[in-house]
Amino acid sequence: MPQTRSTLMIVMALTLALLLFSFFTSRGDLGSFGTTILSGLFLGMLYFLVAAGLSIIFGLMDILNFAQGAYFMTGAYITFALFHLPAFQGVDANLRFPSAVAAATAVGALLGLLLERGLLRPLYARPIFQLVLTFGVAIIFGEALKAIWGTAAFSWSPINSFGIHQSGFEIFGRQFGTYRLFVIAVGLVLIVLIGLLLQRTRTGIIIRAGVEDSEMVQALGINVRAVFTMVFTLGCAVAAFGGAIAAPFLGANLGMGNAFLLPAIAVVVLGGLGSYMGTAIGSLLVGLAVAVVAKFSTEFLNQTVWSSITPMLLLILILLLRPSGLFGKESR
Amino acid sequence: MANESRLASWRRVVQENAPYLAIVIFLIVFPHLVGWITGDSPFGVGGRPRGQSVFWQSVLIEVFILTILTMSYNLIFGFTGVISFGHALFFGLGGYILGGALELVGLSPEVGLLAGVAVGVIVCGVLGFAMGLVTLRLRGVYFAIFTLAIAEMFFIYFGRLPLTNAEDGFSLNALPDLINPTRNRLTYYYLTLFFVVLTFVFIRRLMHSPTGKVMLAIRENEGRAQTIGFNTLRYKLLAISLSAMMASGAGMLHVILNKKVGPEILGVTYTVDPLLMTIIGGVGTFSGPIVGAAGLHLSERVLNRQFVIGPLTIDVGQNWSLILGLIFVLVVLVFPKGIIGTWTQWRTRRRSSIG
Repeated sequence: MPQTRSTLMIVMALTLALLLFSFFTSRGDLGSFGTTILSGLFLGMLYFLVAAGLSIIFGLMDILNFAQGAYFMTGAYITFALFHLPAFQGVDANLRFPSAVAAATAVGALLGLLLERGLLRPLYARPIFQLVLTFGVAIIFGEALKAIWGTAAFSWSPINSFGIHQSGFEIFGRQFGTYRLFVIAVGLVLIVLIGLLLQRTRTGIIIRAGVEDSEMVQALGINVRAVFTMVFTLGCAVAAFGGAIAAPFLGANLGMGNAFLLPAIAVVVLGGLGSYMGTAIGSLLVGLAVAVVAKFSTEFLNQTVWSSITPMLLLILILLLRPSGLFGKESR
Repeated sequence: MANESRLASWRRVVQENAPYLAIVIFLIVFPHLVGWITGDSPFGVGGRPRGQSVFWQSVLIEVFILTILTMSYNLIFGFTGVISFGHALFFGLGGYILGGALELVGLSPEVGLLAGVAVGVIVCGVLGFAMGLVTLRLRGVYFAIFTLAIAEMFFIYFGRLPLTNAEDGFSLNALPDLINPTRNRLTYYYLTLFFVVLTFVFIRRLMHSPTGKVMLAIRENEGRAQTIGFNTLRYKLLAISLSAMMASGAGMLHVILNKKVGPEILGVTYTVDPLLMTIIGGVGTFSGPIVGAAGLHLSERVLNRQFVIGPLTIDVGQNWSLILGLIFVLVVLVFPKGIIGTWTQWRTRRRSSIG
């Protein structure tokens, strides 16, 4: 497949360019270079957790879920709140954290189920309103979190730490938290797991067939609506899980939703709407790009604004240069 | 004879638009009416902009500005069927350009005002055109994504730009006296009212023209409009440019009223408000935006206090956006045509059942 090969060449060239740029701007400081790349991977994994659901849901159901970032944010808030809940302080922190993450993921799944079944299902005949509705739901989530926990940003203090969150390691003389490495590992495992689910299981085959042509799948006697519900629920659960495991490092704040939705949209457009491989590769690229620009702009330009707007700039560039994305089909 | 028929046609216009004319006349008299009832002069009390009449003028000016913004949003979302999630971009950018021309360039207030309005309207129109040109050939969702991303980018950028005092923003002091809302609130009230009427008449003329009919056709079925032979991209671009220009005008009126320019005018509020007001008022209707903007803004003003229901204390002002969001979801699910659309439907159904 020559098209795939040339796409892979582009991906490799982009990665190489980012790495070289980062290497030269770190002025021979391997520690700084290493931590930049690792934070890029860390961000990329979080972007992936938001983008995976976004991409598969879009491919299958033709809905771009603008609330996906809100699910991420909700996951972070719930994990933070449960972990710090006074009633649970007796429980060992190493047990408390995983249970908080599990609870946040479950809430994400439940809210996803409710959104698809209760709000989106009546609107399949009016796709524009589905889009508008997910946007409205994102606003409601943000406002509800604000009403419950207030506007102040939460940050995870080191006192309330647990196992791997406490430790760090050295890379060429620079400190890097083991926890972020753990998130990268979890992200990689999930990329492989979801990939296997799509490639090897019967459900996965139905999902991929649905991405190609969901009416045909329906015509073959498969209940596509049930698959829609399942995919939507899982997508929201994965996003909430992403927020949950991000909380020990990023804390929880009301800006998180948009801060992760827009990069995730950039990822999905870069990878090509509906392409799983594109999403996986795209998230690593966008994560790396954001980290490299962040490093460059704080060191050389003495400004932090550029790293915040990098995802949007990337999105604009992609739409200008290659709107179908890396692995996408023609996007009309 | 010619004179007579002209008179007759004028009479017909007046008869057809009687409700609108009545509203406009009421709004013209309103400040004096409030002044007469409460005894506070509409020109302010003791030479300062105080008193009931002046207070209600400013509330209504806010409604007028939101109405213009919502009508501009309705032009693309309601009449042409294009979704934008970044309308605040044009609103805020218009405000920033006018503010910059008045405060940062060093022109005299009058020249700065004219230059700022001209440059702001043109820049927003061109920006809307360019954004449409990039994404409207693709599927509809790309325009929504693109507008969301660019609006968010400008919001972050202006929130940290030292030139405009980052997130604090800057205040407008060099305003020409005539439109200075603290000196001449009543003049400013009539000015914004004039722009509401102008925008309304313009959009109605546009939608009754052949161009407007093509826009409606695009909303109903773009593929079919293309098949007939219309270059649909051109009509969508026209709608977006016009809408962006109107939204920038609304932003300018807003910054003059508040005499302050800050990143909040680029924030998501000014995207969500017109969206909600359009949908709640009635998508693709002429009076929907007016009903939506007036209804929502006035109820926010009236309900902005704490309500105690048994053991529950609900602070409506604090949670207004949450309540709005819930109303919005309810309207989308149950009354997708909004207040005006549902009312029209109900009325026609009743008439047809009687007749």
